[in-house]
Amino acid sequence: MTDTALLIKDVDKFYGPVDYGVHAVKKLNMDVQKGEIIALLGSSGCGKTSTLRMIAGFEAVSRGTISLAGRPVQTLPPVRRNVAMAFEGYSLYPPLTVRENIAFALKASKLSQGVVDEKVAGIAKLLEIEDILGRYPSSISGGQQQRASLGRALIRDASLHLLDEPMGQLEPQLRALLRGRIKHYIKERGLTAILVTHDQTEANALADRIAVMEGGVLQQFDTPQKIKERPANLFTGTFVGEPPMNVFEASVSGSESKVAFGLKDGVRLEYPASDFSHAVRDALVQRQKVVLGIRPYSVRRSADGVTGRVAVNQWLGDQTHIAADFAGGTMVLVEHDRTELDVGQPIGIHLDPSSLHVFDGESGRAISHGQELA
Amino acid sequence: MTTLQLKNIVKRYKSQTVLDDLTLDVADGERLVLFGPSGAGKTVLLRLVAGVIEPDEGRVLIGGEDMTDVDAEHRGVGMAFQNFALFPHMSAFDNIASPLTATRSSKEKIAAGVQKVAKLLKIDHVLTHHPKALSNGQKQRTALARALVGSPPLLLLDDPLRNVDAKLRFEMRLELPRLLAAQGATVVYVTQDYKEAMALGDRIAVMAAGRIRQVGTPQEIYNAPADIEIARLFGDPTINLLDVVPQRSGEGVFVELSNVRVRLADYDADVAGKECVLGLRPEAISFADAVAPGAIPVTVEAETPLNEKTVTLALTARGREILVSRPAGTPGPVAGPAHIAVNGTQAFLFDKTSGALLPRADLAAKRSGEAA
Amino acid sequence: METMSPLERVLRGLALTLVVVFFMFPIFWIFLMSFQTNETILAIPPSIVFSPTLSNYAALITGKLQTAAGTLDIAFMRNLGNSIFLSVASVAVALVLGVPAAYAFARHKFKGSEDIAFTLLSFRFAPPLLVLLPLTQYFQWLGLSNTYFGLIWVYQLICLPLILWIVRGYFEDISADVEYAYRIAGHSWFATFRKIALPLAGPGIAAAGLLAFIFAWNNFVFALVLASADKQPVTVGALAFVTSSGIQYGQIAAAIVLSVTPTLALALYAQRYLVEGLSLGAVKG
Repeated sequence: MTDTALLIKDVDKFYGPVDYGVHAVKKLNMDVQKGEIIALLGSSGCGKTSTLRMIAGFEAVSRGTISLAGRPVQTLPPVRRNVAMAFEGYSLYPPLTVRENIAFALKASKLSQGVVDEKVAGIAKLLEIEDILGRYPSSISGGQQQRASLGRALIRDASLHLLDEPMGQLEPQLRALLRGRIKHYIKERGLTAILVTHDQTEANALADRIAVMEGGVLQQFDTPQKIKERPANLFTGTFVGEPPMNVFEASVSGSESKVAFGLKDGVRLEYPASDFSHAVRDALVQRQKVVLGIRPYSVRRSADGVTGRVAVNQWLGDQTHIAADFAGGTMVLVEHDRTELDVGQPIGIHLDPSSLHVFDGESGRAISHGQELA
Repeated sequence: MTTLQLKNIVKRYKSQTVLDDLTLDVADGERLVLFGPSGAGKTVLLRLVAGVIEPDEGRVLIGGEDMTDVDAEHRGVGMAFQNFALFPHMSAFDNIASPLTATRSSKEKIAAGVQKVAKLLKIDHVLTHHPKALSNGQKQRTALARALVGSPPLLLLDDPLRNVDAKLRFEMRLELPRLLAAQGATVVYVTQDYKEAMALGDRIAVMAAGRIRQVGTPQEIYNAPADIEIARLFGDPTINLLDVVPQRSGEGVFVELSNVRVRLADYDADVAGKECVLGLRPEAISFADAVAPGAIPVTVEAETPLNEKTVTLALTARGREILVSRPAGTPGPVAGPAHIAVNGTQAFLFDKTSGALLPRADLAAKRSGEAA
Repeated sequence: METMSPLERVLRGLALTLVVVFFMFPIFWIFLMSFQTNETILAIPPSIVFSPTLSNYAALITGKLQTAAGTLDIAFMRNLGNSIFLSVASVAVALVLGVPAAYAFARHKFKGSEDIAFTLLSFRFAPPLLVLLPLTQYFQWLGLSNTYFGLIWVYQLICLPLILWIVRGYFEDISADVEYAYRIAGHSWFATFRKIALPLAGPGIAAAGLLAFIFAWNNFVFALVLASADKQPVTVGALAFVTSSGIQYGQIAAAIVLSVTPTLALALYAQRYLVEGLSLGAVKG
């Protein structure tokens, strides 16, 4: 059984006078279940940090309610919300050592010195900062400071852990390992965490559900898998995913037996009508202009596909990125083996209807994902 | 003929040696990537080539000519900076035109040159804007245009994609090879991102602490990293490193992981008994059935799906952490007990004390032997 | 927090008004005094209601000071002219010498550069009285006392360190990469200085020049000792209003208004540059 750890209801945030100032967060509704890891994902200025700061209590809520474990808290000061936070700017206390900084978070809990030492040692091992526990923040690197700051937030026994860009400064060599460890740590203890990030890789790796924000509006709130497979609109589709989703403007025509997409440069993609459900077919032919989207790792090479020309072939060790000139644009393919393709060489490109995303050409809202209606 | 030669370059700041007896040749028309962690001396080296800082010792030769004592403005190189270094009080047009105004070209020629490169970089619609009014991506393109406009034979690019967002960075990574190929210039490209290095470099020079540690093609470096440190710098997730002592049997060399033998076919018998570190790239490990030969039991700690791949953190019976990477969409365990299989032909052995890669039996010779 | 309650707004307004009144009242009062005769100024209790007179200004402009003891000749307009000439010339000289020096100190760290820069700044530490006596002697030997040239030279003690240190900071704030980029584009170091460094440090140079101007304008001691009446600036010339038959408050007030006007005008004009200087922080990259 799960219960709701956080409930955000109709929350608005204005900087400046309500209704006239800058509208940073627009009518936000979100729920977080106990034990969940949630990522607030978006580019800078999308409202994600404002949201996090409202939850923590550093920012006043202009309208709406925020409840923690069923208790409205929007008027309470931060200390009375039982929320732990790791800040983007590390914000370690300079006169304290890393050990004291981390232990500081346990001051209020009145644990015995022995228990505190044990907990600090555990979290230090997890974050690979055992060797710098005695050092002062000014004498350690940015990545180490960030790990110490993470340790200070994670060690607390709070009802909600807020992590603001927790891994942005981390050494790339440690990232994959620490992501795994931190996820395991949070899950093992049943903690509830919300992380704010602009890095969709991090959101995908850590979160149970991702809240994609843009322009102060929540675009989609779903599992990483759902967001990848069923993006609600063109923004989410192209924002989440690396390499980004290939998109092509197209016109649709349909008959009883087939559905055809007309792309630039006279490229036509024809599919038997049976590749789409009735509802999808009906929805598609109503539109004149659509945007076709397909993920780079869903594009297949096949001799009887539409011809494209290899423009770039980049081998990255465990995968190959190929960019081909296709229908007046660029089609990116990801393959997991080394591919011997020369620049300028023609390749057949096959877009499987089951991995096609179709968006409305005007509103950008998703119409269909593969066989199914969005 | 080499276009750029660096001979025994030494650069010190106060008592600290930033570049330590560094020698490097870049061939005509080659794209060389200087790759290394921050503080390795990459940027200093690039500035030294540009002529805005002077080496304490050594010579810089460009196109065969000794340029060590030649001022920056007479070296005829193009350079793009990590922080763009646009002139804030000039329009994008004037920024891009600056290398042309120095040569006292006619107004028409300058305008034509700027227009051409601006069109190529898709910024011809913002030429009247000042840097303040440009988006980050446009700033970056303006900086590139400024470096390209004079068609310099030597192009120095100092981590030009560092300060743009991931999506733009990816787009530029695909666009740059085409742009640079059209220029035909010799390129020295500095980056801290191994993917950029592999995608853009004909050769990569790996730098650390003021020295060049390895120079080679992307394949050479990824498939035969000179030491543990370089192996750790290339690859995401990072390579798994396990202390092992190889043994030998009738079949050849093997290592034991959780009491399961993993054969290392490429290694000669003389590595047996040595204190070694086994390097296993996460993509060289796969999940396997418990009954499969060579299956090693593990416990899955956490699954972290990325985009095109899924990374899993697993614990061996001895409590060692292993990262496993598999293409997204392929099946794998999410939690609890599981088994992994290790591809021994993709494993590296490093000497434990020196960190150096232990030489493998010559693969090419072996293959040709098989063919015969 | 960012949204203020009406009460907060009122209190904040009140506090700001108090501060403004505290600082502006003396200036306002002097402005009123300059239109009054000595009698109304000294009247107790003082009154804001009076019949304004231009006699103070008239006296200053004609140079005839009417006192109880008769008419005195004063050279206020000449003093004002001296002040303007001395200050403008001093600042100009200091800019010509100081800006390139500041650039050198900012960009080229050579052996002893910090020491030299600090020595120049230390001229500001010594009280003028300390150097006044030897300076007078030297100037007499050199024939520089009571010359504009000599005064402008001495004023460099005030202006040069100020410009050097402020402008140096602005030059240091310009990213070296921006200058490197211009050099690599094929321009000489001098062209880089002229086309990149100078325009980007412009607001800083303007601010430093303005401050130097104010300091030069307000200088009293050097001019008092080293110049005679025809070369003296307003600060010294104002002494003429302390006459044997009393202090001419009305004229002093008028003189203050006249002598404050140029600096005030300059400050208001330069404010634009100062604000621009702040917003140019993006230069740092």
